[in-house]
Amino acid sequence: MSVLQQVPRNALVWLIISMFALLIPHLERIPFWVIALYILSATWRFMVHRGRWSFPARSMRLVLVVLSFAGIYFSYGSFLALESTVALLLTAYALKLLELVRRQDAYVLLFLGYFVCTTEFLFSQDLLIVLYSLLNVLLITTALVALHQPAQQVFHFGSLRYAGIMLLQAFPLMLVLFFLFPRIEPLWTVPIKSHAARTGVSDFMRPGDISRLSQSDEVAFRVQFDGEIPPPAELYWRGLVFSRLQDGAWSSIPSYAIPAQERAAPRLETKGEALRYTVLMRPTQQPWLYSLRYARSSDAAVIESADFRLYSSVDLEDQYRYQVNSWPQTVLDQDLSAWRRRSELQLPDDSNPRSRRLAQQMRSNSASDAEFVAEVLAMFRQQPFVYTLQPPLLGEQPMDDFLFNSRRGFCEHYAYAFTLMMRAAGIPARVVAGYQGGEVNPLNRTVIVHQFDAHAWAEVWLEGEGWRRVDPTAAVSPDRIELGLEQAMAAEGSFLSDSPLSPLRYRSISWLNSLRLRYDAMSYRWQSWVVGFDSERQFSLLESVMGRLTAQKFIAVFVGSGLLVLLPTAWLLLRKRRVSATDPIDQLYLSCCQALSAKGLERFSGEAPADFAQRAAQALPHAAEAIESMTKVYSGWVYGPRAEGAESEALRQMRLARTDLIRALSTRSRAAAAPSEAPQG
Amino acid sequence: MQLQSVIDRTVSEIGRVVLGKELQIRLALCCLFARGHLLLEDLPGMGKTTLSHALADVLGLSYQRVQFTSDLLPADILGVSVYDRNEASFTFHPGPIFTQLLLADEINRATPRTQSALLEAMAERQVTIEGQTRKLPEPFFVIATQNPIHQSGTYPLPESQLDRFLMRLQLGYPTPQAEREMLLRQSLDGSLGEALKRCISEQELNQIRQAIAAIHVSDSLLDYLQRLVAYSRESAEFAVGLSPRAALALLNCARAWALMSDRGHVVPEDLQMVLPAVAAHRVVPSADYAGDGMALVLQMQRNVDVIRR
Repeated sequence: MSVLQQVPRNALVWLIISMFALLIPHLERIPFWVIALYILSATWRFMVHRGRWSFPARSMRLVLVVLSFAGIYFSYGSFLALESTVALLLTAYALKLLELVRRQDAYVLLFLGYFVCTTEFLFSQDLLIVLYSLLNVLLITTALVALHQPAQQVFHFGSLRYAGIMLLQAFPLMLVLFFLFPRIEPLWTVPIKSHAARTGVSDFMRPGDISRLSQSDEVAFRVQFDGEIPPPAELYWRGLVFSRLQDGAWSSIPSYAIPAQERAAPRLETKGEALRYTVLMRPTQQPWLYSLRYARSSDAAVIESADFRLYSSVDLEDQYRYQVNSWPQTVLDQDLSAWRRRSELQLPDDSNPRSRRLAQQMRSNSASDAEFVAEVLAMFRQQPFVYTLQPPLLGEQPMDDFLFNSRRGFCEHYAYAFTLMMRAAGIPARVVAGYQGGEVNPLNRTVIVHQFDAHAWAEVWLEGEGWRRVDPTAAVSPDRIELGLEQAMAAEGSFLSDSPLSPLRYRSISWLNSLRLRYDAMSYRWQSWVVGFDSERQFSLLESVMGRLTAQKFIAVFVGSGLLVLLPTAWLLLRKRRVSATDPIDQLYLSCCQALSAKGLERFSGEAPADFAQRAAQALPHAAEAIESMTKVYSGWVYGPRAEGAESEALRQMRLARTDLIRALSTRSRAAAAPSEAPQG
Repeated sequence: MQLQSVIDRTVSEIGRVVLGKELQIRLALCCLFARGHLLLEDLPGMGKTTLSHALADVLGLSYQRVQFTSDLLPADILGVSVYDRNEASFTFHPGPIFTQLLLADEINRATPRTQSALLEAMAERQVTIEGQTRKLPEPFFVIATQNPIHQSGTYPLPESQLDRFLMRLQLGYPTPQAEREMLLRQSLDGSLGEALKRCISEQELNQIRQAIAAIHVSDSLLDYLQRLVAYSRESAEFAVGLSPRAALALLNCARAWALMSDRGHVVPEDLQMVLPAVAAHRVVPSADYAGDGMALVLQMQRNVDVIRR
């Protein structure tokens, strides 16, 4: 193998560094043995470089490939899910290192590296991940730069600087492509997230579901209000309405079970002032959207339901942003249809007999429905009920067990028990699930709603008042509603007890908290303006800038702005390559050389003027005289003895010589062009 | 110019016995004009001795030849004091070094002790024996020859001593025409049969040396020279770059070459002509570099731009 074909040591080191850097963000998704494989490949290749080991034999490589495939299959149980495909790619990437013999292999590996870099975005488009990917791109580019250095080049950091300059030069073009390149719909769709866990509130609720969710510090969604942010106690984000109790779980009534005339959302008369806000949802793989009470959205893709929820026509595979107007004081369902009344009263026949008896007994002792509601809440408040993240398991009749035995529960227990008692007493009631409260980021005035803000409460229908929101949790633990989960659980110490490193646990450290909020504000901006910059926004941006969008206009703008950012870079590069000689006579000489190089005669860097003149004169005999006299003037001035004050004269002569040279060169081109024209004429 | 015709005549005179090697002849003359010692490195039978002999003839210099062997001692070159019974005192019998042109044949066959005795004398142009310093004649040239050092039984010259030779020349095989001519003219006794005329008088040699000292060197040329030297010191391919002495040697040779090209000032071509002969034996390529010193110097010449940017 020739020296030219060798992979420089510098490139090899950078290549291995970049491979490991590419692996790091995937660490939580890949089995341990993939990391071991990376270390093995890197060690092996490095020992080959040092001449200690030799490349693995063909049979050995085959064994490694088969083992990797088998390993992926056993670790993930499938080849088709996203995680396993990416793991397969990463494994192949590591094994390819063992086939890195020549320079062209290194190219394959590096370009594959750029591709591997993008796979990280399938899982997360977080700001930090993007910054980290930029670092990866820098590392891969550094390896690419190092690949063009002499084979014996030892490891050094200079290549990093060079690659950085190259990336900076590419930055304006990246912006142009980001803003202008058409976001083409994929030609085929891959069921990308089929195996990803669904996060957030699910479409049915059993006691214990929401307390499990409360262990997560992930962001569920962020909200930006146009005006004043309402107090946290008012922020009940409705997501799901559970009207059906079956097999111990609350669920929504499936749409096929709803009669046609009940499906349409009634257009209610709004009351009071509207709250205007924008919600930026994280991908949930579920269709429902969160909003405050009585919400309407101007977004066409957002659908309103008869129980006053919002949902999207498709599952949220990506982050989703929608605009909402809410009128919290609006009366919901002044009159209740017979079907709705029936379904909001339904209870399984044989469940929780003690609780139902208690409810009927209490109702008969109270004067009105409203009074009964207050009495039930008073019961929760006065009897020793405990609000806890660690409720005990409940028996066959869960609510009987809860109300009379354990009396320890999370919000879903209270909502369940309350709704059960209402229905038992003949008052239409239902459970509402969603989030309550949220953290206000003072830096950008957004409300950050985390998974641990998940909450369940109840709605009862009262004659003349419509649906009234009742939160039995507020009766048990007012702190939960006023101050949030963390304060409510302060005594128990169970807040995020499963994630000791979550920055949210350290909110009491003020600088850490302000750093976290600052990052969240940045993240919000990033998610809504960069990640959320889809083809629709792109179109509206372009139309707002240049009016009606036509194909010609678009192409002109696209090409034009591409040129606009590339030309300054090109100009800078060319200027650096061109004359930077300080001496004016050197400049003149170099410009003559340029004129000659336009004729295909490039002066080599080590070629002295007279040698070059001789070569040029032979190649261009018609201009020989001009070339020689120019060189003579130059060489005589630069290397010969100088008379005092003769510089201006030398410059003048040099200019004349250059003019002569250019004239001589152009005469020839005209003379050469003439014969070819003649036959045509 | 009168000196010019003298030089041209000298070159053609030597060319009568060393056929087809005009460039090497000119470089050898250039080396002597620049008051330097010459190292001829080539395989046996390439005309090293013929060239040095011819140089001695045309310059009209007294000539001594020492065949270096592994048992040669310093005294064999420098000379020795012998007790004279008649005079009852020691008298000094000068060695072969007391001559104007010394041909040290196969210098790398001698032991380092003998080599360094010669090389010291070359540098100082004087010899100190038994506490007495004796001047060597003026002019004093050494032409050393050596076989390529990978032959067995040799003591390669260390870099520090190679540096004392102004130039190292390789003659190389002759062209087919030159070889044909040589074969035709070959006489039975093995010589080319021509006695060479003396072409340069001592006075003319002095004039030439004065003229060389007067050759103009411009700032731009010094810049170029310094860029070359700096490149050899900075590039990773060099283990040992060019020393200040090497830079001085380059300049002197370029001056001599400019004079021989009938020019009053040095141009980059002059420097480039003498560069391989002057620099190649002074640099050491790094362990990773695939080529030898000559390849390295040629690469340096290609990479360093003549014109400052």
